[in-house]
Amino acid sequence: MAKKGDLILEMNKVQKRFGGAVALRGTDLKIRAGEIHALLGENGAGKSTMLKILAGVHINDGGTIKLGNKDFMTGSPQASIEQGIAVIYQEPSLFLDLSLAENVFIGRQPKKGKIIDWKFAQSEAARLFKELGVELDPKRQARGLSIADQQVVEIAKALSMNANIILMDEPTAALSASEVERLMTVMKSLKASNKAVIFVSHRLDEVFAISDYITVMRDGATVSEASVGDTNLQKVIKDMVGRELTEMFPKTDNKIGSVVLEVNDLTNPAYFRNISFNVKKGEIVALAGLVGAGRSEVARAIFGVDKYESGLVKVNGVPLPAGSPVEAMARKIALVPEDRRQQGLFMIAGVNRNISMESFAQLIDRGLINFKRERALTNTWREKLSIKFNNQADPVDRLSGGNQQKTVLAKWLATDPDLFIVDEPTRGIDVATKAEVHRLLNQAASEGKAVLMISSELPEVLGMADRIIVMREGRQVAEFSRKEATQEKIIAAATTGVKSA
Amino acid sequence: MNLLNKLKLSSREASLGIILLISIGVTGLINPRFLTGDGTRDLLTSTSVVALLAIGITPVVVMRHIDLSIASTVGLTAWLIADMCAKNPDFTWVQCFVVGPIIGTLVGVVNGVLVAWLRLPALVVTLGTLYIVRGLAYVISNSVDYNAQEMPPSLIEGLGQKVYFGLLPFTFLLVIISMIVIAYFMKYAKSGRDAYAIGSNPPAADLVGLKVTSRTFLAFVFSGAMAGLAGVFYLMRFAQVDSTAFYGQELAVVAACVIGGVSIFGGTGTVVGAVIGALLVQTIQGGLAALGVDAFWKSAINGLLLIIAIYADRVLAVRNEKQLLRQRIKERI
Repeated sequence: MAKKGDLILEMNKVQKRFGGAVALRGTDLKIRAGEIHALLGENGAGKSTMLKILAGVHINDGGTIKLGNKDFMTGSPQASIEQGIAVIYQEPSLFLDLSLAENVFIGRQPKKGKIIDWKFAQSEAARLFKELGVELDPKRQARGLSIADQQVVEIAKALSMNANIILMDEPTAALSASEVERLMTVMKSLKASNKAVIFVSHRLDEVFAISDYITVMRDGATVSEASVGDTNLQKVIKDMVGRELTEMFPKTDNKIGSVVLEVNDLTNPAYFRNISFNVKKGEIVALAGLVGAGRSEVARAIFGVDKYESGLVKVNGVPLPAGSPVEAMARKIALVPEDRRQQGLFMIAGVNRNISMESFAQLIDRGLINFKRERALTNTWREKLSIKFNNQADPVDRLSGGNQQKTVLAKWLATDPDLFIVDEPTRGIDVATKAEVHRLLNQAASEGKAVLMISSELPEVLGMADRIIVMREGRQVAEFSRKEATQEKIIAAATTGVKSA
Repeated sequence: MNLLNKLKLSSREASLGIILLISIGVTGLINPRFLTGDGTRDLLTSTSVVALLAIGITPVVVMRHIDLSIASTVGLTAWLIADMCAKNPDFTWVQCFVVGPIIGTLVGVVNGVLVAWLRLPALVVTLGTLYIVRGLAYVISNSVDYNAQEMPPSLIEGLGQKVYFGLLPFTFLLVIISMIVIAYFMKYAKSGRDAYAIGSNPPAADLVGLKVTSRTFLAFVFSGAMAGLAGVFYLMRFAQVDSTAFYGQELAVVAACVIGGVSIFGGTGTVVGAVIGALLVQTIQGGLAALGVDAFWKSAINGLLLIIAIYADRVLAVRNEKQLLRQRIKERI
C-alpha cells in the first residue's frame, strides 16, 4: 500500500474526442494517497469525460495514465474496479429491491461452501457503515433511502472492494446542508485511512472547506493545479471562467412594458421556498444557479405541471389556478422543458405533427384537421427559425440536436404565448445554433413577449438577460440588473449564498 | 386493508398466507366439506399444474421478463407423452417424468436464445413461441386424442391417485418440494440473487459485472422445463388430452404470480408467494362455487382479484413515497 503523499495516479496530456467533438484536449491530473482532490470547471469543461475514462466507461485516445508505477488498463468498469478505482456517480446506481448488505456485496457475495453467508455479509456491511460513521441497518431495503444514504452504501461498497482511489461526481449536488456535512466527515475518514478521494463539485465553499488540492479544467484542458493554501476563491473562479464574451448574444434594447408574470411567495417545501419575482413585457429574466437549486421546479410549478403548497401566480394581473397546464396554456403561457427528448417532443412523429401539436385550433376546419394548414404552419416556422429537414413528415428523431431544439421552440412559439418559459434552451447544441436560439429569444422579447429563461451557462445568462435572479438550495439569494451582473458575482451567490465575491 | 398493510411491511408472503387462511376458513363455514380431507385434496390437486408453472416463471418475472409460451408447452408435452405411451404400452411413469421436462427444456432453450442472446423483448418472443408451439401441437396431433386406457396405469391410477395423509396428493407434494428447493436457491445461491439484481436495475447489473446473459438464458430454460413437467401433471389430473389441452391458461399463471406478490416490473417476489397466489385464486373460486355463484363468473372473478392485488400494491407504494417525502422535508428544514 502506498504511503501518504505518494503519487498514486498520474494523468498526462490525456485526450479524448467523440466523433468531431473534442472533449479532452490535454488534461493533466496528479493524485496522491491520503488527499482530497477537487476537480472544478464549468459545464462542458471535460470533468465527466475524465472521470468516465478512469471508471472504464470511455477509453482515452491519447496521453498516458499511470497508477503508481504501473500503466492503467482501460476498457471496462470491471477492469477499473480490479485496479482499485471506484466511482460514485451523481445518481447512485443501487439495486433498490435488495438489502443494503446485498448491495454492498453484489457480485462478490461471501460464501460458506456453496451458499451465500448472509450473516457474515450483514455483519461486514454493518462494520463498514460503522466505520463510515453512518449506522444504517444492513437488512434494510435500499428503496426509500435518501440520496445521501445511498452514497454511503456506494462508499461502503468501494471500501469492501479495497478501492484506494474513490471518484465522486458531484456528490453534494442533491444533498441538504446537514447531509453535506456528514459526507465531508466520511471523506475525511477515507483520507485518514490513506485513500485518495477525487470529487467534482460546483459548490466552491465546500471545495475550500475540505480539499487539499484543486485542479481547474476549462475547455478540455487543465488550467491550473494548486494546493488549497496557494490559491483563493477569486483565482479559482477566474480560472474556471477565463473566456471572453463573444458576439453570441445579439442583445437588443426592447421597450419594457407592463407586468406579465407575477410570482408571490411561491413555496413547495421539498424544492423551493418564498420565491417572488415578476417578468414584464419585452423583458428577459434569467433564473441562474446550480443544477438542483430548484429553478426547473419553480418553472414547472408556474406552468402547473407540479403543485405548490402556498403562494400565488398572477398572469396579466389575474391569479392563475395551480396545477393546471391546460389553464396555463389557455392563459398564453408556454414552457419549453429542459429535456427535449423526454418531455418536449414526440420523437417518432413527424416535424409537422410536432410543430402543430399545440396549435390545433389554427388547423381545424369544420371539425377536422386541415392538412394544408398544417403544411403552411410548418413552412412558416421552418423559414422563421431556419429548421433544416428534408421532408415535413420526417421523424424528429432524425434531426440534429439543434434542429430538434428549434422544433420545440417552434411548437411553442406557434401558440403565440405572452409568457415564454425556456429551461436550458441551448443545452447540448452547437455554437452556431446556440447563437440562433439566442436571436430567437431576443426576437420574441422584442415582439413584446415576456421571457423567463433558466440557464446554467453564465455567458448565456449575462449576454441575454435584462435581470438575473439567483437561486441556491431552493431559495432566492440574489437579484442583479444587467448592469450590475458579473460572472464572479453570480457564481459567488450561487455557490456560497454571499451577494458579492 | 389496514391489517394487510401492517403485515406487508414485515413480509408479503405472511400476509398472503393469512388472507389464504381466512378465505379457506370462510369457504369452510359456507361449505364444511371444503375443510375435510377430500376437500383439501381437491383444492391441492386442482392447483398443482398452475402452482408448478408459477414456480417456473417466477425467476423469469423477477428478472423483468415474461414467459407466455408455458401453457402451449404444457399442451404439446401432454399430447406427446400420451402419444408415446400409447405407442409403447410397456412405458411407465418413469419415462413420462423424463421426457416431459426434456420437451419443455427445448422450448425454453429457444426462448432463452432469443431473449438473452439476441436481446429481443420477451413479451413478443414468447407470444411467438406460444403460437408456434400450439401450432405444432395441432399439426402433430392431427386431431387424434387420448384417454386413460392408452396411458400407463402407473401414472394415472398409481401416482395420479396417490394421496399422503388422506389430503396431500403426490403432485402437490412435488410442488412443495420444488417450491422449497427454488426458494432456498433464490435466497442463498449467487445466481438466485443475481436474478433479483438484474430485475431491480438492469443497467447497474451490467456495471457491476453480473452475467446477465447466461442468467437470463437459464431462467427461460428452467421455465420451459417446469412447463414440461406440468404437462405430465396435466395428464395425471385429467387422464385425457387433445391438441387444445390447457389452451389460454398462461395468463392464469401470470395472474397467480402477481397476486402472490411477484412484481411484473421485476426485482421482487418469491416462489412461496407465487404458490400461495395460485392457492388463493383456487380457494376463492371454490368459496364462490360453494356460495352458489355460477361457474361462468370464474374468469371475471380472476380478473377482479388481479386488479385488487395490483391496487393494493399501488396504495402501499404511494403511501411509502409520501412518507419518504415528508421525512425528507423534515430533514431539509
